[in-house]
Amino acid sequence: MSPTRAAPTAPRPGPAAGPGTDPQRRPSAWRDRWYRFDVRYLPYLLIAPFFLLFAVFGLFPIVFNGIVALRTWRLDDPTLDGWAGGENFSRLLGDGDFWNALYNTFGIFLLSTVPQLLLALVVASLLNRKLRAQTWFRVGVLLPYITPVTASTLIFTVVFARDTGIANWALSLLGIGETEPIDWRASKWASWIAIATMVNWKWIGYNALLYLAAMQSIPRDVYEAAAVDGAGPWRQLWRITVPMIRPVVIFTVVLSTIGGLQLFTEPMLFEPNSAAATGGADGEWQTIAQLIYKVGWRDLNLGYAAAMSWALFLVILIVAAVNALITNRLGGGKR
Amino acid sequence: MKQSWSRLARVLSAGAVSLAMVAACSGNSGGGDSTSGGDVTLKINFWGDFGLDELKSKYESANPNVKIVLNTGEYNAQHEDLQKKLIAGNGAPDIAAIDEGFVVQFRGQADKFVNLLDKGAGKYEQNYLPWKWKQTLTPDGKTQIGLGTDVGGLAMCYRTDLFKAAGLPTDRDQVSALWPTWDAFIQTGQQYVAKSGGKKFVDAATNIFNPVLGQQPVGFYDESDTLKMDGGPRVAFDVAAKAIAANLSANLTAFSPEWNAGFVKGNFAVLACPAWMQGHIKNTAPQTEGKWDVAAIPGGGGNWGGSFLTIPKQGKNVDEAYKFLEWLIQPEQQIEIFKQVGNLPSQPALYQDPAIKDFTNPFFSNAPVGQIFSKTAENLTPQYLGKKNGPTRVAVENVLGRLSTGNLKGKPDQAWTEAVKEAEKAATS
Repeated sequence: MSPTRAAPTAPRPGPAAGPGTDPQRRPSAWRDRWYRFDVRYLPYLLIAPFFLLFAVFGLFPIVFNGIVALRTWRLDDPTLDGWAGGENFSRLLGDGDFWNALYNTFGIFLLSTVPQLLLALVVASLLNRKLRAQTWFRVGVLLPYITPVTASTLIFTVVFARDTGIANWALSLLGIGETEPIDWRASKWASWIAIATMVNWKWIGYNALLYLAAMQSIPRDVYEAAAVDGAGPWRQLWRITVPMIRPVVIFTVVLSTIGGLQLFTEPMLFEPNSAAATGGADGEWQTIAQLIYKVGWRDLNLGYAAAMSWALFLVILIVAAVNALITNRLGGGKR
Repeated sequence: MKQSWSRLARVLSAGAVSLAMVAACSGNSGGGDSTSGGDVTLKINFWGDFGLDELKSKYESANPNVKIVLNTGEYNAQHEDLQKKLIAGNGAPDIAAIDEGFVVQFRGQADKFVNLLDKGAGKYEQNYLPWKWKQTLTPDGKTQIGLGTDVGGLAMCYRTDLFKAAGLPTDRDQVSALWPTWDAFIQTGQQYVAKSGGKKFVDAATNIFNPVLGQQPVGFYDESDTLKMDGGPRVAFDVAAKAIAANLSANLTAFSPEWNAGFVKGNFAVLACPAWMQGHIKNTAPQTEGKWDVAAIPGGGGNWGGSFLTIPKQGKNVDEAYKFLEWLIQPEQQIEIFKQVGNLPSQPALYQDPAIKDFTNPFFSNAPVGQIFSKTAENLTPQYLGKKNGPTRVAVENVLGRLSTGNLKGKPDQAWTEAVKEAEKAATS
C-alpha cells in the first residue's frame, strides 16, 4: 500500500488550536481522524485479541518447548537442568521406539483417513439426493461427532474385547476366528484396524456434512447435462462432484492429517493399563503422541519429550503439505 | 458514529479481558490464607479408598474451623499430578498420599516437602515398622517427608466355591498346605484346570511375577539403583513363565475393566492378595460375599504396596495439615481404617490390639485377616524399590504379556532375553 494514498492532503488544525478557534470545522476534523483510524488501524485492533491469545497460549509454549528440547530436563532429578544441545534430537534418530511409533501412526493414519474420506464422500452424495426425513439423516450422521471421544472409545474397547466382544461375535457368525477369537491387542494389524474403526466412526459424519455443504452449491444443470450425455451416478460423483468441491476436499485432507498424526485418546484408552502408555505389550499401536506422553510423564524426561514433539510438528507439516499437493493434483487443480 | 464508538469500546474491553486472563494465569492470586484465623480447607489427594470418609466428618465436628476435602483419583494420575505441581511450585494439595513405588522419586525432592521431623514427628518413630519409617526418610536421616499409612503383607485369596467344584479342599489351613512352594502352587493349578474343565486358575501371570519378586531379597534394583535382572527378577520370571506354560493364567490385565469383570464371573480361582486388596474385591464384586477365603502365600512373606501421607511445602495450611496428619496416625484412627477397608496399619504395636488381632472379615468367610496380615507384615524384609522401578516393572510385565499371547508365545528363553533388554531400556529411559 502506498503510504501517501490514505494520508490526508489538506493541513488540519491540531488539538492545540484549542476550543473556539474554529467551531465549524472541529467535528469534521474528528470525523476525518476517526475515518483514518477506522480504515488503517481498527482492523489490526479487531484481530489483535486472537493474536495476543495466540502469542501467550500458542506461540510461547511452542518456543518454550523448543528451548526445553535443547535441555536435559528430568522431573525425577531436578539437578539435571543443563543444556543438551542437539543430543535429544540425535538420540531420537537412533530410538527404535520412536520409529516404531512413527510407523504405527502412519499405519493407523492410512487405515483411518482413506476409508474415512471416501465413505464420507459417498454418504454426502447420498444425503444430497431427495430423501424423506432429510434433516433427520443429516443430523444423524453428526451424532458420532458430538459423542465425547473418551466415552466412545471406552465403548469400543468393550466391542473389541477378546473373549466377550461384539466384534469377535460378529466375525464368528461369518465363520472367522470361531476356534481362536482374534486378540485385538496382540498384533499390529488387528489393533490398527480396531483403532482406525474408532476414528472412522467418529469423523465420517463430520466430513460428510462438510462435503454436503459444498455439494449444495453445485448447480443442478451440470448434472442434468452430464446425465443427458450418459454419465451414471458413479461417474458423476468422480467427474463432477469431486472436482467441484475440491477446496473442501483439500481442507478435510489437511484436517484429518493433523488429527490422524496427533492421535492420542483412542490408542491410549484402548490399552488395558492406560497409564503405562506403552501402546500394547510390544508397542503394537503406540502412536507418537502417546510416546511423547510416556517419555514426558512416565519416564519423566521432559527434554526428550519436547524434542519428540518438535519432530512430530515437522512430520505433520511435511505430510500435510504433501497431502494438500496430491489432493490438488487428483482433483485436477492447476496450482 | 455512535455505533462505531460502542464497537470500539467492545473491542477494547475484549482486549482488556484477554489481558486480564493472561495476568491471572501468570500471577499468584494468593487466596486461602489461614493466618487470619478463618476457616481452613484441607485438601487430601489419594487413590482408591483410604477409609477416610467417616474419619473426615469426625475430625470436622471436633475442629469446626477445619473443612476436609477428599479427592480420590487414579493411582498413576495422582502421582503424576503431584509431580507436576511440585515443579510448578503451585497447586499441590495440603496432604498428598504417595505409594512405595514412587517413594524414591519424591524422597529425592525432599526440599519440596515439609520436614515432619521439624514438626515433632520424631517421637512416633518407635511406633512404626523400622523399614517403613526409613522408606520416606532421606538417606542422611535429616528429613522425613511422610508418615506411613498401611503395609501390604501378602496372602493368597481364593474362591471356596470354585475350589469345591474342582474337588480341591476349601479349608484355609488345608489350602495353605497345598502350596508350600511356588512349584506346588503351579501343580495345584494344573489339577484345578484339569478338574474344572479348562477354567483358568490365576488372573494373570504378572500377578505371579510380582509377589514372587516381592519375596526376593533384592528386586529390580539394588540400593545403588543398579539394575539386577539376574537375581530376583530371574527367579520371579521363571515361576511366571512356568505358570504360563502350564496354561494357568486367564491373561487379564490387573486393574483393567476385564480384570474387574473376572472377579464377578469367576474367571480365576486365586489371586495374590495384599491387605488392601480386600477392599478392592469387596467393592468390585460385592455379590461374591462369602465365596472368598484367605490362605498363606507360597514361599512365605512379601510386600506389595503400602502408602505414605506427605505435606507439600507449597501448601498454605501446613500447620493445620500436620495437626490432622498427627490425629490420623493415632491408634484409634488407624484401627478404624483397618476395619473400614482392610488397610493394615504400619504400626506393629497395633497388631496386638484385640480390635485387629481378633478381627475376622465376613466377606472372606470370616477369615482371621487381622492375624494373617499382621503376621506377614511383621516377618517381611521389604525391598529397595529404585527410582525406575515403575517403568521397569511395566516393561517386564509387557514381555510376560507377549509370552502369554503375543509374538513370544511359547518361547520362554527368548522372552527372558527380551525382558532383560526391555528392562535395560526402561532403566536408562
